[in-house]
Parts: sequence; C-alpha cells; structure tokens
Amino acid sequence: MNLASSNSISAQPGRTIRFRIKRCDGPGKPSYWQAFSVSPEAGANVLSCLQQIAANPVTADGQRTTPVVWDAGCLEEVCGACTMVINGKARQSCSCLVDQYAPNDGDEITLEPMSKFPVVRDLWVDRSRMFHNLKRVKAWVPIDGTYNLGAGPRESHEQQERRYALSTCMTCGCCLEACPQFLPEANANKWDTSFVGAQVLGQAHLFNLHQTGEQLASDRLDVLMGQGGVSDCGNSQNCVKVCPKHIPLTESIAALGRAVAVHSVKRWFTSK
Amino acid sequence: MSNPIGPSWYQRNYFLLRRLHSLTGIVPIGVFLIAHLVTNSSILWGKFALRGDGAGKSLIDGGVYYFAKEVTWINEQVPHLLLIEITLWVSIAFHSILGVVYAMSGKSNTSRYAYQDNWRYTLQRVSGYVGIAFIFYHVATLRWGWKFLVPGGTQWSHHYSASTLALALRGSAEGMTTWGLLVSLFYMLGVTMLVFHFANGLWTAAITWGVTVSANAQRRWGRVCTGIGAALMLAGWSSVIGFAMLSPEAARAQENKLLGKSAHAVPESSSSEVPARPE
Ligand code: SF4
Ligand code: SF4
Ligand code: FES
Repeated sequence: MNLASSNSISAQPGRTIRFRIKRCDGPGKPSYWQAFSVSPEAGANVLSCLQQIAANPVTADGQRTTPVVWDAGCLEEVCGACTMVINGKARQSCSCLVDQYAPNDGDEITLEPMSKFPVVRDLWVDRSRMFHNLKRVKAWVPIDGTYNLGAGPRESHEQQERRYALSTCMTCGCCLEACPQFLPEANANKWDTSFVGAQVLGQAHLFNLHQTGEQLASDRLDVLMGQGGVSDCGNSQNCVKVCPKHIPLTESIAALGRAVAVHSVKRWFTSK
Repeated sequence: MSNPIGPSWYQRNYFLLRRLHSLTGIVPIGVFLIAHLVTNSSILWGKFALRGDGAGKSLIDGGVYYFAKEVTWINEQVPHLLLIEITLWVSIAFHSILGVVYAMSGKSNTSRYAYQDNWRYTLQRVSGYVGIAFIFYHVATLRWGWKFLVPGGTQWSHHYSASTLALALRGSAEGMTTWGLLVSLFYMLGVTMLVFHFANGLWTAAITWGVTVSANAQRRWGRVCTGIGAALMLAGWSSVIGFAMLSPEAARAQENKLLGKSAHAVPESSSSEVPARPE
C-alpha cells in the first residue's frame, strides 16, 4: 500500500471534480464565481489542484481565464499563509485532502478567500492586521540591549508544556475568520480600537507566562483592558474549535480575564 | 493612540463599564430574578408554605393566599423599598443600554459555524432584546398602570395582586380571550428568554472574570448553570401557567379574606381566619 492510496481509502480513482472559486481581480474590485473541472491525482490536496488549474486556466464551461491566485509558504500547515474558506469553513488549503472532501465523481469543493481580511487577489488575503495586533500587545520577549543579558531563567517542565501549546500559533487567522466579534475593518486607523481576536489573546498570554516576557505584562494588560481588548470577546468559543493547532484559546481568554481584573485593581490603588 | 484628541470618556472607562455590565447582570438583576420567580411560582406551592393557615384550603386557594401575603409584605414591610427599586431600575437600564451597544459590535455566524456554544452566543443577544421588550411591557402595565396595553384594561393593584395578574393574563374575568392568550404567550416567551439569558450569562461571567479558567472547569460550571437555569425555568413557567389558569373571582375571595384580616398590616401570628384587630 503506497502513501497515496492510504490517503484515498474510499476516493474514486480517475474521477473529475469541480472547484467553485470566489475570485476577485484586485483590492476593491467586485468578486465573482468561476467553476473549474479537475481530475485530482491520488492523495491530492487543494493546493495541488489549484496548481493544475494554474497550469491550464480554463473554466468548466471551456472559457480561458486568468490563473487563480493564492498564497502559500511551507506546504505543511505551519506557516498559515494558505488559509482560505473551504466549503464554508476556514482552514489551511495545503493540508486539505481532496480525497476526503470530494471522494466521488462530480463532487464539488467551494473555495473563498477569508472574509475578515482585505483580498489582494482571488484567494490571497492581506493579513497585516494580525501582525499589527501582535505589536499592539508587544507579543515578544524584551531582550534588546547593549550588553549580554546572560542565560534566561530556568523554566519548569509544566510551564514549558503550557507555553508550547500557545507557541504553535501560525498567525493563520482561522480563529478570527470564525469569530463573531472580529469584523473586517478596512480603515487601519481603527485597528487600535477594534477587537484583537483570539490569536493575539493567546500570544499575549504566551508572553505573559514567559519569565522574561513577563516584564512587559503590565503594558499588555493595559492594552487588553481597553477597547478592543479581552472584554470584547463574546464567549462564542468558535476560535478554539477551528484552531488547526488546537490551541486552548478559551483558557487564555479566561486567564487574561482574571489577569486584567487583578491588574485593574492594582492600578487603581498604585498608579499615579 | 491614533486619536489626536486622546481617548474619549467611554474609552477611558471601557473596562469599568464592561465589568459593571457583567456584574449588574448578576447583582442586583439576577438576584432579583430569582426572588421574583420564587415568589411568583408560589401560586402553585404556596399552600404548603402556609403551615397552619393552609389547612382546609385547596392548592390554588392556598397559593393565592400565600402569594398575596408575600406581595403585601414586600410592598408594606420591606425597608428602603424605593431605594431597592431605583437601584434595580437603574441597573436594568444600564445593563440593557450597554448590552445593546455590545451586541451591535458583533455579527452572528451560526449558519457557517453551527456549534452549540455559538448558538448560545447568538441567543444571548436575541434573548437580551426580547427581554428588554418584555420587561418594558411587564413594568409599564403592572407598575406604571398603562391600562391601554392590558386586554380588558384592568389596573394592577398590589392588594389584589393575584386576581389582577390573572385578569391581565386571561384578558377577561370570564375566561381566556385571544388577546389574553397572546399576553400569556408573550409572558412565557419573555420569562423563557430572561431565564436563559441569566443562566447563560452566569456561565460566560465566570470566563469574563477568569473564575473558570480551564476548559474542564468551564464545562463543570456549565452543568451548574444548566441546573440553575432548569430550576428557574420551572419556576418561571409554573408562575405564568399558574396565573393564566387562575380564576380571578376565586383569587379575589382569598385576597379579601387576607385584606379583611389586615388591611394595613401583615398578620404576625396568623393562627385563625377571624379578623383580629378592629381598625
Ligand atoms: S470565544 Fe471570543 S475570541 Fe473566541 S471566537 Fe468567540 S468571541 Fe471570538
Ligand atoms: S490561534 Fe490557531 S487559529 Fe488562531 S491564528 Fe493561531 S493557529 Fe491560527
Ligand atoms: S502553506 Fe503553510 S500552512 Fe499551508
């Protein structure tokens, strides 16, 4: 049994399937739908089918068109660049196996760009807002300086395991795409007062748990107390269900809810 | 930050407002909801709480008698009643207005992500809207005396609490009218929505305040909230059904009995049905 056939336990070999793709020619341009017929190789994923379409960009009704554009990097579900909405739900297209999604002749797969980010072209979106939001909460460990800080503090095994789960976030945006409280915002000036979303809450928690990263904890909590911070979460818990890395995002949300409560009391009594 | 005038009052007090919104839902509103539903459901279990006074009374007569006694006590004996009411009204207004502002900041997506938790997210907002409409109707008709909104136009009186409520829910003294049925159904809907809103709000509040942090703790607390919700739902439904089935005349007979005994005071040691004090 080769690898390809183990991936296609019940998929019909030699079948033709359809891709319905929501396309857009550029920022601000209207979107439109096109369908393509593809005969997937055994073990194909959505990206390899998109490569087939790019090699021969002809629609299902025989019209020549431009190749469909998408974004990708690692091709192994660690960079998050290839995230798109497949059959209505956000996920990575590189790890989306066509044999599972369209096992029979004539089956259809729908591809759309994520709706919460501006479309660059076709399935490729601009995720800058996620990186902007990481900067809002200083999601890093402060080690820049003019002298060697020496070795970092030792960390317990338990703490390592807790932080490891959070560190696997790949800034893919699935949790934001599924979040009813995270809405598209075209005006970048409004990003600072809009909800940061579960991705950033997970990362703020990650760096607050780090013994050196903790030095910035108070700055992070100040931001998360404000408009667009952790209080904007509506507890729908969609984020934790769609996260491809199974990050316990709702636990980070609750932990931060507790942290900002304590922080606000401390601040009320001690800050000037 | 990007705002040249600096953060607004709303932004500077953002956290305080958010947490006050969460808190007011539990204290005083939630606590009041529990007390209110317990009192109202006594129409069905009040006979057993009357002890000696309940002897010889039917289930419903005992319920009316106990309920009327409780309402009279609340209206005549509870200290600082006006202060309590004002606190409650201010809290409800605050929770409602901010709730609408917060609800409008999201966009429900249950069609794509049809998870149970996500449905509750949506229902929490819908139940808030329905709840506001219901509380407004409830208070306007039974407290502010907006008779034109009551079928049959009966005016609420706390001395005749059970009979006037039964009249409002039935639409006429003779029996259930179409309008009465609609009012009763609206009460069922309103009570159901508010109890859900409270129980689900208790669950989310524990996350908001970081009381339940682990997913397992959230699941366990969810079971407790379901239990609280189920018990309150039972109390709410039995109140509405109990009063909608109540005959206003039979209720009035019990109320007059109670009034005859103590028009201005509540019986302290109520061992007999005979009027004790000449007034
Ligand atoms: S739990 Fe909060 S952050 Fe997660 S999807 Fe729901 S609203 Fe968004
Ligand atoms: S938290 Fe999960 S879903 Fe959200 S960006 Fe990170 S990896 Fe993606
Ligand atoms: S290409 Fe990196 S996650 Fe798919």
